[in-house]
Amino acid sequence: MTGGSPWSRRALAAVGVFGLVFLTVPLLIVVPMSFSSARALTFPPPGFSLRWYAAFFGDPRWMDAMWTSAALASLSSIAALVLGSLAAYGLRRGSFAGRDWAEGNFMAPLIVPTIIAAIALYLGLAKVGLLGSFIGLVVAHTVLNVPLVMMVMGVAIREFDLRIEQVAWSLGASWSYTVAKVVLPNLAPSVFAAWIFAFIGSFDEVIVTSFIAGRYETVPKRMFNELVLEVNPTITAVATLLIGLTVLALAAVTVILGRAGKLRPTLA
Amino acid sequence: MSDIRLEGVSKRYGPVAAADDVDLAVAQGEFVTILGPSGSGKTTLLSLIAGLNRPTAGRIFIGGRDVTDAPAQERNIGLVFQSYALFPHMTVLENVLFPLGVRKIGGAVARSQALDALKLVRLEGLEDRRPSQLSGGQQQRVALARAIVFKPDILLLDEPLGALDRKLREELQVELKQLQRTLGVTTILVTHDQEEALSLSDRIMVLDKGRTQQVAAPAEAYLKPANRFVAEFLGIANFVGLEDGRTGLVRPERVRIGAIGTAAKTARVVEAIYLGQMVRYHLALENGAAGAPMVAAVPFVGRAFATGERVAVSWEAADIWPV
Repeated sequence: MTGGSPWSRRALAAVGVFGLVFLTVPLLIVVPMSFSSARALTFPPPGFSLRWYAAFFGDPRWMDAMWTSAALASLSSIAALVLGSLAAYGLRRGSFAGRDWAEGNFMAPLIVPTIIAAIALYLGLAKVGLLGSFIGLVVAHTVLNVPLVMMVMGVAIREFDLRIEQVAWSLGASWSYTVAKVVLPNLAPSVFAAWIFAFIGSFDEVIVTSFIAGRYETVPKRMFNELVLEVNPTITAVATLLIGLTVLALAAVTVILGRAGKLRPTLA
Repeated sequence: MSDIRLEGVSKRYGPVAAADDVDLAVAQGEFVTILGPSGSGKTTLLSLIAGLNRPTAGRIFIGGRDVTDAPAQERNIGLVFQSYALFPHMTVLENVLFPLGVRKIGGAVARSQALDALKLVRLEGLEDRRPSQLSGGQQQRVALARAIVFKPDILLLDEPLGALDRKLREELQVELKQLQRTLGVTTILVTHDQEEALSLSDRIMVLDKGRTQQVAAPAEAYLKPANRFVAEFLGIANFVGLEDGRTGLVRPERVRIGAIGTAAKTARVVEAIYLGQMVRYHLALENGAAGAPMVAAVPFVGRAFATGERVAVSWEAADIWPV
């Protein structure tokens, strides 16, 4: 921000800081509570203990949910990465009838209310007999995360000079060779960022999962179910771990994209 | 090394023709420049020859082979863009090795070919740098080395010097010309810079609104333009009325000016611009077409005429070209 009087800049800063605090404090309250020695959720915590972490890691149901979430997020994020990147490439580089329509279709899961997507996936998966199956979950999470990948990769591909690809073709490189040896190495940071977004997107997903998971339990779904039944402080330990994971992942994205920005070629 | 032939090549985008029924024959080893203002379709034409685009009509031949429907990969062309388009994640040497790798040439053979190409563009010792560590002129040399290392049949250059400053541009023009002559590679260059076109090419093709205006050697296009557009695009053009009612072109350096009384026509000096080797006078004719502007460029020797001064103006009948 440039311009404006010092006063208005200070006011803007104040509003910004307030907004940030408003958004993060409720999240951060969970962190000290997870280290509480109390049996119930109380704030401030009366004493320090790791009992809720022990409860989490010692409970096979939580561990099962963790493995389900990890496997689901791994598979669906990789599927979303491959499909979303290809879609982004085709949409950015291609010119064909119905391109806008196709893009809207791919982006839809991000735009329509999640509950609608959940019902649609419920009905769709039921129709093909994948409701309550692990494959069904992977398919659903892939559909949900393709738009995230497309957004990140779409920007990266648009910023990557088409003429670099054209030169590679003129030098005799096939399309797939060019993508493998020229496009992907240069877009690696964005690929990694897109993969992290898709992974976190899947790891955090609860609404659609609740509809279609059947007997499978992911971490967020189990948290949700636990909260409905009883308020157990183990949840705060899980929440803290999830917050930690997300913060680390986003920090990684920032660092990687920041480095990539510095390496961009310049037109001297 | 191959010749290039375009036969009735058109590229239409809806009702707009970026290239409109273009014919061109470039002989083996020839250097032809496609010259035109932005939007004239010159880059479209180049991308059609490169195979990055398909024409809506017409045929393209390289070395006698019809390549109209062949993709860029199968045309064996060296392509250089204004933006260099180097592979940012590769070193200079890796960039130059790329087309050899695609052709399954590796090891010491590839390395020595790549080093030879870098030597040709005078870039020794920078093999391990990355493009981002090079100046614009150096990057363009890498792009050039990469485009010639695999001995392409033809070389296509899209405003290759457009991003460089004037001094460097002139330096590279000379080198480019020498390199092209050494290799004997058939070359098409696209530019909007008439000086570049005049100085580099064996022949110039002037393009406007997708249509060929003239194909001729530089001097011929400059002194005997096919029409007013070519006359004005290739340099400053004075148009004078001829006795038969037509219009004639006189180039500024063919206009002579002297002390008053030495010729029938007189003019007033509107502006005298000192250019070092030359002085360029912007004149307003006094008799005949009174007030008509005229530009004269004369070698600067001794005294220059001042603004507002009256001078005598003349030119030889042989220096007039009807347009």
